[in-house]
Amino acid sequence: MTEVTPIKMPSLEGKRLSFALAEDRLAHYPEFRDFFVRTFDLDRKGLSEPGFVHAPSGGAYALIFIGRSGAPFPSGLEIYAVVDALEPIDGDLLDRDLWSVLRWMIGGVGAPWTVQDLDRTGRLYRVPAASSP
Amino acid sequence: MSIQSDSVLPATLRDRWPYAPRYANVNGWRMHYVDEGEGDPVVLLHGNPTWGFLYRDMIAPLVGGGRRVIVPDMIGFGLSEKPTREQAHCLDGHTANLTALMRQLDLTRITLVCHDWGGPTGLSFAMSNPARVRALTIMSTWAWPRPPAEFHTRIFPWRMMHAPLIGPYLLGNHRALAGRGVYLSVVDRERFADTAQAAYETVLPDPATRLLTWVWPRWIPLDENARAFERFKWLEQELSSSKLPALIIWGREDEVFDAATFASRFKRLLPHAEGPHLVTGRHFLQEDSAPEIARLIGSFLDRLDANGAKQ
Repeated sequence: MTEVTPIKMPSLEGKRLSFALAEDRLAHYPEFRDFFVRTFDLDRKGLSEPGFVHAPSGGAYALIFIGRSGAPFPSGLEIYAVVDALEPIDGDLLDRDLWSVLRWMIGGVGAPWTVQDLDRTGRLYRVPAASSP
Repeated sequence: MSIQSDSVLPATLRDRWPYAPRYANVNGWRMHYVDEGEGDPVVLLHGNPTWGFLYRDMIAPLVGGGRRVIVPDMIGFGLSEKPTREQAHCLDGHTANLTALMRQLDLTRITLVCHDWGGPTGLSFAMSNPARVRALTIMSTWAWPRPPAEFHTRIFPWRMMHAPLIGPYLLGNHRALAGRGVYLSVVDRERFADTAQAAYETVLPDPATRLLTWVWPRWIPLDENARAFERFKWLEQELSSSKLPALIIWGREDEVFDAATFASRFKRLLPHAEGPHLVTGRHFLQEDSAPEIARLIGSFLDRLDANGAKQ
């Protein structure tokens, strides 16, 4: 499985942002919030722009960070697939990409969180992407 | 802000859940419950990710034993309204939802049957409304602030399963808890898959309807900074001085809330309690031993009646 990598904002002309996944409580385990702050320089950039990543399928994903009064920024995160504006998404491909994003995130969060434990959890619950080569 | 889930069950399930749906407005949410029989009320409380269906084989015998049986679906589960924002859910809010229903029905002499999150919510209701409660039955749950089990401190699989983004993906998109999670937590898995699993999956058809399945795990305190730490501390203290008649029933095969740790701790908290009675069952022991559990509760209440016990 190829890497997920942060990228600059791609051209959004002729594209739409297709909702994929949301997290209301990014700092439930604070190290997860710290990872995104670190990776996307959010202490400096704040709400000024989304983060973008390139996924193994070749597609791009927008990470929209959510602020909430009284909570450290970002408190939440929404992930959107950047897709052709009038085309439906490929659900299986989206699912595999999301799994890759989660693996990338866990790798970045670091110990005691491990990609191996994420993969084991995915296999326990029979997530198709977790059993893909 | 919410999903109205009063849609009908598939015909294959309606035969096994033939009870008239009733609804109450609790704290602005639409709560589904069933209310069968006459007599002193027995309130059957489920947890995550189940609903009243968990008690389907206990309702008739309890009603037949002269009890009024009330089975609410927690807001966010079953046929109750399902808020789509995590902020709609908190432990005290769910206790207040139950309290609202109990007061609207003006129930007294209640026997609360508590399982999983039906424990912290039901027992909090009991400790804050003792005049309405006659007795407690406690099954596979906890009521103290430290992590309920070593299992809950582990990253694989527990903390990973509900971690940020992973919870919404695994438990939301992939229905990990309402599907395979329950399946793994019963003894007779083949029978469960054939006769019951669809009932838990059907009422949580879409990722957004499964929100509470990953929100509840995040309310389990792992340290003293956790949101519910003080509430659980209070609950343990209140229980330790409670004289309510109590019955403890546990699944013999329960590996997560294992009887040696959990049932024994409840026995220390409530030394006057009957039990623990061990029955065939993992965490969702009602799936394997409903008739036996109903018999244990029925005979417990019969003894209270015979002794003229009244809280």
